[in-house]
This record gives sequence, structure tokens and C-alpha cells, in this order.
Amino acid sequence: MARSSTSTSKDAQDLFRALWSAYSATPTNLKIIDLYVLFAIFTALLQVVYMALVGTFPFNSFLSGVLSCVGTAVLAVCLRIQVNKENKEFKDLAPERAFADFVLCNLVLHLVIMNFLG
Amino acid sequence: MATTVVGAAFLLLLLLPFSISQPISDSHRSAASDLFNKISPSLEDAYEALRVFEILAIEKKPPVTTDTCHTVLENLGSSSSPLKDLFYALKVSGILKCDVDGAVLKKIASRLKATVHDASTLLDIYYSVGSLVLIKDQDSNVDVLLTDADEIFRSIKALSQSDGRWRYSSNNPESSTYAAGLALEALAGVISLASSEIDQSKQVSIVKNDIAKLFDRIEKYDDGAYYFDEKFVSGSEHQDSLSTTSSVVRGVTSFAAVTSGRINLPGDTILGLAKFFLGIGIPGDTKDFFNQVESLSFLESNRISIPLILSLPETVYSLTKKGQLKVKVNTVLGSAAPPLTVKLIRAFSTGAKDSAIIDSKELQYNQNGGFHFLDAFPKNVDVGTYVFVFEIVLHDSDSEKIYVAGGQIHVPIYVTGIIKVGSAEIAVLDSDLGNVETHKTLDLAGNDVVSLSANHLQKLRLSFELESPRGRLFKPHQAFLKLTHETKIEHIFLVGNTGKKFENVFDFLGLVEKLFYLSGRYEIELTVGDAVMENSFSRLLGHVELDLPEAPEKAARPPSPPVDPYSRYGPKAEINHIFRVPEKRPHQKLSLVFLGLILLPFIGFLVGLLRLGVNLKNFPGSTVPATFGFLFHLGLAAVLLLYVLFWLKLDLFTTLKTLGLLGAFTMFVGHRILSHLALTSSKLKSA
Amino acid sequence: MAKLIFVVLLTLIPILCTSFSPEKPSDRRILVLLDDFAVKSSHSLFFKSLQSRGFDLEFKLADDPKIALQRYGQYLYDALVLFCPTIERFGGSIDAAAVLDFVDSGHDLIVGADNNASDLIREIATECGVDFDEDSAAMVVDHSGYAVSSTEGDHTLIASDDFIKSDVILGSKKIEAPVLFQGIGHSLNPSNSLVLKVLSASPTAFSANPKSKLTSPPSLIGSSISLVSVIQARNNARILISGSLSMFSNRFFRSDVQKAGSPTKHDKSGNEQFFTELSKWVLHERGHLKAVNVQHHKVGETNEPSIYRINDDLEYSVEIYEWSGTTWEPYVADDVQIQFYMMSPYVLKTLSNDSKGRYFTSFKVPDVYGVFQFKIEYERLGYTSLSLSKQIPVRPFRHNEYERFIPAAYPYYGAAFSMMAGFFVFSAVHLYNK
Repeated sequence: MARSSTSTSKDAQDLFRALWSAYSATPTNLKIIDLYVLFAIFTALLQVVYMALVGTFPFNSFLSGVLSCVGTAVLAVCLRIQVNKENKEFKDLAPERAFADFVLCNLVLHLVIMNFLG
Repeated sequence: MATTVVGAAFLLLLLLPFSISQPISDSHRSAASDLFNKISPSLEDAYEALRVFEILAIEKKPPVTTDTCHTVLENLGSSSSPLKDLFYALKVSGILKCDVDGAVLKKIASRLKATVHDASTLLDIYYSVGSLVLIKDQDSNVDVLLTDADEIFRSIKALSQSDGRWRYSSNNPESSTYAAGLALEALAGVISLASSEIDQSKQVSIVKNDIAKLFDRIEKYDDGAYYFDEKFVSGSEHQDSLSTTSSVVRGVTSFAAVTSGRINLPGDTILGLAKFFLGIGIPGDTKDFFNQVESLSFLESNRISIPLILSLPETVYSLTKKGQLKVKVNTVLGSAAPPLTVKLIRAFSTGAKDSAIIDSKELQYNQNGGFHFLDAFPKNVDVGTYVFVFEIVLHDSDSEKIYVAGGQIHVPIYVTGIIKVGSAEIAVLDSDLGNVETHKTLDLAGNDVVSLSANHLQKLRLSFELESPRGRLFKPHQAFLKLTHETKIEHIFLVGNTGKKFENVFDFLGLVEKLFYLSGRYEIELTVGDAVMENSFSRLLGHVELDLPEAPEKAARPPSPPVDPYSRYGPKAEINHIFRVPEKRPHQKLSLVFLGLILLPFIGFLVGLLRLGVNLKNFPGSTVPATFGFLFHLGLAAVLLLYVLFWLKLDLFTTLKTLGLLGAFTMFVGHRILSHLALTSSKLKSA
Repeated sequence: MAKLIFVVLLTLIPILCTSFSPEKPSDRRILVLLDDFAVKSSHSLFFKSLQSRGFDLEFKLADDPKIALQRYGQYLYDALVLFCPTIERFGGSIDAAAVLDFVDSGHDLIVGADNNASDLIREIATECGVDFDEDSAAMVVDHSGYAVSSTEGDHTLIASDDFIKSDVILGSKKIEAPVLFQGIGHSLNPSNSLVLKVLSASPTAFSANPKSKLTSPPSLIGSSISLVSVIQARNNARILISGSLSMFSNRFFRSDVQKAGSPTKHDKSGNEQFFTELSKWVLHERGHLKAVNVQHHKVGETNEPSIYRINDDLEYSVEIYEWSGTTWEPYVADDVQIQFYMMSPYVLKTLSNDSKGRYFTSFKVPDVYGVFQFKIEYERLGYTSLSLSKQIPVRPFRHNEYERFIPAAYPYYGAAFSMMAGFFVFSAVHLYNK
């Protein structure tokens, strides 16, 4: 019925607006991390689409590319968890320490990726 | 034992085609001129060539040059020439009539006379006596007569053995038949050179006894050829049967020539010896040729008995061509025989030895051609193999003492003719009822083929009749019926006969196993042949489609066809490797497009960062932390650059080494900047 | 003095050893065993033709107690001619086994049998792959293919012109006149691939006693009767077996011949040409090949590598010569093939030649790796078999021989680098953002 569809779409719009305003409340550095994660995920998706189109020919390169994106995203998410002040679990961990871990892991990740890229 | 084997082999190898001997003919002469074509420095070879050309009256020039006479004179002139060389030099000079000085001959004669006395070996005596005889023939002025002929005679005789053979010298205990021939010739020479009469009666009769004993040792082939053979004798070259027999013939005939009395040797022996020499055919070796021709020339005119050879130029006669039976009688060297008649005593078929086809006919003589002939074969002579028995009857009774013709001579004769093949028919019968299903007459003279079909329950009958030219029954040697299957497997059957009718019935029921149960098309071929059938034929009659039952499990498999050798060796088909097709690659442009697309999120990230309003305000202001910060990010960039270089061209080891250095540096500065940042942020927090 | 003799003897040994060597494959010393020395004279044209080509013939009686084929393990002769059909037992140290060992060691054999062939000769022939008719009174009779003769009436003298079609074995010049034959026939086992019929009987011939009637179908009939056969053993020893010794005789060589049913009368039979050419083949003066100088290398290079990589282009060349009796002549043919073989041929190519005996080709190495062989298995009718094989390994690509930068993977490269760049930017921004 037209009324329920408009109401559902209105509900969806309200939901979306509520989420968006809630999200705007997050601190900027977390937003940066989120943006970074999105960037990585998006790149990974693009690669999967490409693979679907042309096949898995240099499979190692594909894996390497996708893994680099996914690994980056995962490490960024871990950093976000550790850096987020509202996260009670990591209250005692200095954010710089988290960042140092992040940098180290990323360097290792990129070494591995470069090796596997072929 | 070995010699009889050898002798038998000799016979069969060479005499098989010759059931009767042929005298010397022009083919011998042309072979001689071909064989003696090399000029040899040896006087013995030159003498052999000259003698052969002389005996056979060959017009072509023998292979001797003017140098030969030079060599002869040289040999005769030298006082130290060996006896053998002197001997042959004199022989050559006798034929070539080299101009030899009488004085030289006188010198040689005196030397020889001295040697004859002192000679210890048979060969020395032989050469000396022989040379003296030759000198006597060439120059009558030279005194060659031997005063002590008796003594020399005795010394030669001393070397004789009790079995008729002779020893080469008193030191050598082995006796040799070849030496016997040499001795007899030497003895003949001594008799002819004797200045006073030798006690002919006693000495000569002893020698005649020796000759008789020697001829007791003669060996015989199955066809009547006689020969002498020799075992290995140490101290001299091995002489085979031809040279041994020639030596004996030479010795005996020269001895017979100088004695006044007769030497009694059976005529069959002389005829046998002639058969032996003629049976050799045309020898391929110059020495064998010389021995054969010289021995035949001695047999041609000797004082014992002269053999007459009956020969037939043809032994195969054709009734269709109506040939004449021709018989030639010659001496061994092919010269004319004394007046005689040839009688055909009887002729009988080889299958029926008792009944004679021809009885006692006399052959007429053709003066121009020099042969005896039978005008025409009598009417009752049909095709077949016969044996004709001839006998030579000399006109002059005195000739019988000089010539020997042999008794009855058996000659196998083949009479051939056209065999009439008729009433040929082929039929397919039903086995049980005897009904004729298909019946076809065949014309074996033509080329038509018939086409039949049968199954395993039926029978195939082929019949034809054979008739000889005189209308009698003819049973051929070869009457085959061949069935060939499509797969080239052949089966042969003999066609049997009852009287004139030849018939073969194929009972396929009984033949299924032999035919390997193979159904299909079989070609029928009939082959009829015989030695006396001029029109032997092999004809494809036609083909029959046979329907046979399936082969049971245990039946024999047909033999596999032979591999054609030409196809087995051909080149093989070429093989080219099919490479693994590489995976399909996307278009290069597509990859580039996506490369561009991939970079978009990065740009989007940067744009998003700007939209969020990021700043670098937290960058430390004071120099030291700032430197550390700067160095930290530089270190990071260096590591990432190292990674790019690693991907581009470095190997893992250098990378790790450099990474260790850079990493350590980066960690150090990173630690400093981060601790500084941590410090500032905690200050902020507390404040 | 003794030292001098010793030194001289020592230097003679290599000279003696050069008489039969792979470098000069045709034989030099031939032992001829005869039943009777009369054969030496009656077959002198054949022996002279051998001697004129440079062979040393030694004639001995077959039962001479002093004959021997080898002394102290060395063979004294390079070829053996047995013209002794009636011999029951050889003399000296020769017997059937010794003759077969002689052939097994690579030497040639010529056997002439006859209708009185002994069991020993028949046994030697059977061991070589040729079966004479078991009936000892049988001869080859041909009532339609006999030689017209006014003295031979039983049709055992046959004129045959059914020759094997091979220029190598019988020479390039066609034998115009038929060949005369009188003797026993033999058959060949159809599964034997080493025996060849050089002269076959005509389809109407059969083997039986000419004097008696037939009671059962003869065992040897038609073209399957072989009159003269040759065998080339796997070690390239050649054996000639003839059912008639008189075929070699001067009488047959010189005789004129007219085949029954044919109007032409030839002045000279084909026997002399037939046996001269055939003896050239048997004694390795023709049809003896050697392959030397195998070379292979990558296209563009000259040295021979010890290992190839898959998908390499390589060139292979070999030189093949044929012995002409005195020198090695280049062998020209267009059917020599090379196989690149590992368990089965991956590549089989015909070699092209430059008319001077050099055969070459080039092909791409298959993309299968393993240990391959360059194989030439050359077997042609009448020629010695060439069997060359050279092992060569083929390796796959090394890790750095693949395509370096694959265009299809550019997006992935881009992604990885963009991640690295993003990380750098992020790390800076993250630390210093307020």
C-alpha cells in the first residue's frame, strides 16, 4: 500500500539520519581511521570485481592485492579499537603504543605482500 | 672317405647337367682367349698359354711378347739357371721358335748329361731328361744321346713303389701318383734318348707292370668318369685330382709312344679318363685349363686307344616343332671321327623300362653337317621322358684297335608336346541330393572367369580332361587347385585323376576347419604343368563366394598375413608437440582501466581526509622532536621504498639486510617521537 | 737385436688391427670353404670379381683339419663363404656354433646350398632364419618359368626375374636378363623382420622331386619360395643364402637365357650382374651408414648446452655417410627423422639435408620437463640401421624466467602500492591530527 511504502521509506530515511548524526559525534581521529578502512575495503572490492571479470590468472598477485587491502583494513580496525577512548578494555594502553604496533604490523604486512606480489 | 665325398661333390657340382660329355667346342676357344690374357713373367705360365693356343688352334695372338724370347735366351745362356727354368725355357722356345744358338744348346746338353747322372731327386731327373728330349727336337746337331741310359733307367725305377706309385727322392718315404706320372714321362724320355737299345723286353715289361698297378688305383665316378686322386704329400705342393690325372695321362701316353709293344689298358678306362677331362667343362683357372687341354690332346692321338665321344647337341625334342634327333661322334678335341655308323639299339620310356618304343634303328649320316640323325620320331613316340640307347659301330675293323667307342650309351631324352585340355567344367552340388545347383563349362584357353556361390553344406566339383598329342592319357607332374581368400590366405589341393578325367571335389563341410572358417570370396586358380608339357598354364578360373559357419571357440586362428617389407620401413608420421595453451589473458586496456579505477579510492581517501579537515597541528614544534618526527616518517618512507625496490629487482637477502638497518633506525626514532608525543598528550590530559 | 725385433713386432700390431675397423667397414680377408678345389676353378669369375675389388680370398677344403676362424680370441677373417653344400662336418675348429658366433660378432657370411645340401648346411641356414625344404630330393621346379634349354628337360633350371625392389641391394642399374637358378628353394618365416627375399620364384613354381609324381601338395609353392635371401642381423652382419651353388658358376654366368613364354633371348644371363651387385651389398660396400658429428644447440648460439629449458628453440644436426667400398660418401635421403623422446616421442620431425650429408632441423622444446633423448632410429630396406640417442635434460622455467610484470595484474600492483601510500599518509595524519 502506498502509505506503508512511504512510511517505510520515511522510516528508513529517519533511521539513516539518526545513524548519521550519531556517527558525526565520533571523534575526528576515529573518523580518519574509518575513512582509511573504507578506502581499503573499497579497493579490495574493486579487485574482486576485476577478478570476477578476467579470471584468477596471476592468482598470487590477486591474493596479494586483496590481502594487502584486507590486512590493512584489519590492522586499522585493530588500531581503532585500541585507540578508541570509549573502549574500556584498552584504557590502560597508550595510543602511541598501539600506533607503534600498528606501524610494525603494517611494515611486516607490506613486506609479505611485496614478496608475494610477484 | 673324404676323397669319395669330394669326388661325389665334384661330380654333382659339375656333371649334373651333363648326362653325356661334350667334346671341346668353340666356346672353349673363346674362353681360352679370355682367360689367358695376362702377360706373365714366368716361363711356366707363358708355356701353358702357348701350348693351349697351339692345341686349340686359336687364331688370336697368345699373351707373349718379344721379351719372352729374351727371357728364354737369358735362361738358356746362364750356366746357373735352375733345371726347372731351363726346362720351361726350352719348351717355350720350341713353340715360339726363338733363335737359340747351337753352341748354347750344346753347353746345356753337356751340363744336363752330367746332372742326369748325379741327380738324386725325381724332379731333377725329370727336368734334365725332358730338357734333353726338347733339345733333340729343336736341334738335331746337338748330341743328347745318353750312353748309360740303362743306369738312368734303373735309377728312376729305383724310386718306384710296389703299388705303382713313385717317390720323389730316396729320402722321402711318401709316394705320390703325381710323381708316378713324372717318372713315366722321364722313363719315356730316357728310352728315346738311349744311344744303344735298352733291354726293352725286361725293363719295359716291368714298367708296364707298374702302369698296370698304378691303374688299379684309379677311382671312378658314377657316370663312368675315371680319375686319379692324391692325398697330401709332405715336401711338395698338393696336387688336386685334375693335375694328378693329367700327370699320369701325360706319362702313360708318352711312354706308350716310345715303346714298340702295346700297353694294355681297358678301353673303358681311356674313355673314362676322357669323360673326366671333358666333364670339367670350361675351367676358370689357367693351370686347370692347361692341364685339361693338354691331357685331352694326349688322349686325342695316343698309341693306347683313342676315345670317341658320342654327344647330342639337344636332348629335348618337341613334337610340335618336329625336330630331328641329331647325334655327333667326335674325338675329344672335336675333330672328325673315322667312318662309323651310329645305331639306336632301343628306346624305352623311363616309366616302363621293359617295353621298348623303338627297336634297332640305324641313324643316317649328314655329310655336310658331320652328324648322324634320325629322320623323324616314329608315330608311337608320345610326350614323355625316354632313354635312348646308342651304339657306335666302326666301319673299318682295324680302327677298332686304335679307337675305343664304349659299348651301349644311355641318353635321357625328353619329348615335349602340346597337351590338349578339354571338357573343363565347374559345378556346385548339393551334398545330400547330389543335385547340381550351378554348372558352368570353362574354356581354359580363353580368359573368362566364372562367379559362383556356395555354402558349407554344398560341394564344388571341378573336372577337366588331359590328352597327349597321340591321344593317350597324360598325368602331369603338377596339377594344383588353389583357393585364395580375400585376406591372401591360400590353400592348395592336388587334382587327382581316374583315367583321362581329372576331377577334384571340394566337400566344404569337411573343409571348414582347413579354411579357418573364413567366409567370403575365394579365388580359384588352376595350375597344370609338366616337364614335357609345352603349354603348362596357370589360370584364374573365377571366384566363389563361400558362406561358412562361425568359427567355434577352439578353432585354429588363421595365420597372420606376412608383413610387406616395403611398408615396414617407411618414415613415420610427424608429431608436433601441442603446447599448453596459456590462459586467456584479459585485454591490456581493461587492466589499465582497472588500474586507474584502483587508484580512485586512494584519491577518494585523500579527498575525504581533506573534507574531514585534517591538520598536522600536532607536529612537534621544537627542533629535536621535530627532527625525530621527520626522521621517523622518512624512515617509514625509506622502508616502503625499499619494499618497492625489493619488488622491482632486489632479492630477499639484501632486502632483509637493509630492512634490518632501516628498521632499527626507524624504530629508534619512532620510539623517540612516539614517547615525546605520549609525553605531550599525557601533559595535556593532566592539564 | 731381440729388442729390435720386439719393437718391430709391436709396431706391426696396430697395422694388423686396422684390417677391419669401424672406419673401414668393408671386409678384407675372406675365407672360402669348398668341397673340392674344382669349385675354385669352375666359379672363378665370381671369385675374380671379389678379388678385383680388393678382397683377399683364402681357399680351403671344408674338411681341412687346419682351418680355424679365430685364434687366441681374434677373428682371422672378416667374412666367410661356404661353398660346400655336401659337407657333413667341418674340419679344424669350425662347427655350426662357431660359424654362428662368427656372424654374431658382426662378420658376413655367404652360403651356397645345393640339392644335396647336408644337414649341417641346412642347420646353419635355419639358425639364420631360412628354412630349406625338408625333403632332401626336392628341387625347385617351374613348368611355366623355366629357362628354355635344349639339354635340360626337367624344368629344374629356372629363369627368375622377380627381384627385390631395392637399389641399395641390387644396384641402381636394372638387371635386364633373368637369373638362372638350379637348386633347392627355401621359405622365410613371415614374422621374421630381418630376412628379405632377394630373388623369389614365380607363382607357378613349387618344390618337389622332379622325377617322381606328387602324392600330397608340396609345402613350398609359388612366390613364397625364396631362391636367394639375405639377412641383415641387428648388429649389421649380412648373410646371403642361396639355394643353388651353380648360380655362382662360370657356366651360368656366361650362359644365354630365355625364359619360357618370353620371346626375348638374352645373350648373357643376369647372374653375373646380380651376384656382383649383391656381393657388394653383403660385404658392406654399399648400404653401410654411419652417423657422426651430432650437434645440437640453441638457435643463435654455437656451443652445446648441457640442459635445455622448456620452450627453447633448438637446432639439431647430424652427418650421415655411406661407405662406398673405398671412401665415406655423403648419404642423401629425405626420410631421416629425429625424435625428441621421453617414454614416447613428443616431437618427430623429418630432417632436411644439404646434399653433402649434413642433416639438420630446428624445433621448439616441448613445455614438458624431464630427461629427453634425441633419438634417430633409421631403418630402411637394405641399409644398416642407425640408432643414435643422446640424452638431454629439459628444465622448467627458473623463478626469474617468467614474465616479470604481468599486465593482467596491474590493478593488483596498483592496489598494493596504493595501500602502501595510504598507510604512509595515514600514519602521518593519525599522529599529528588534532
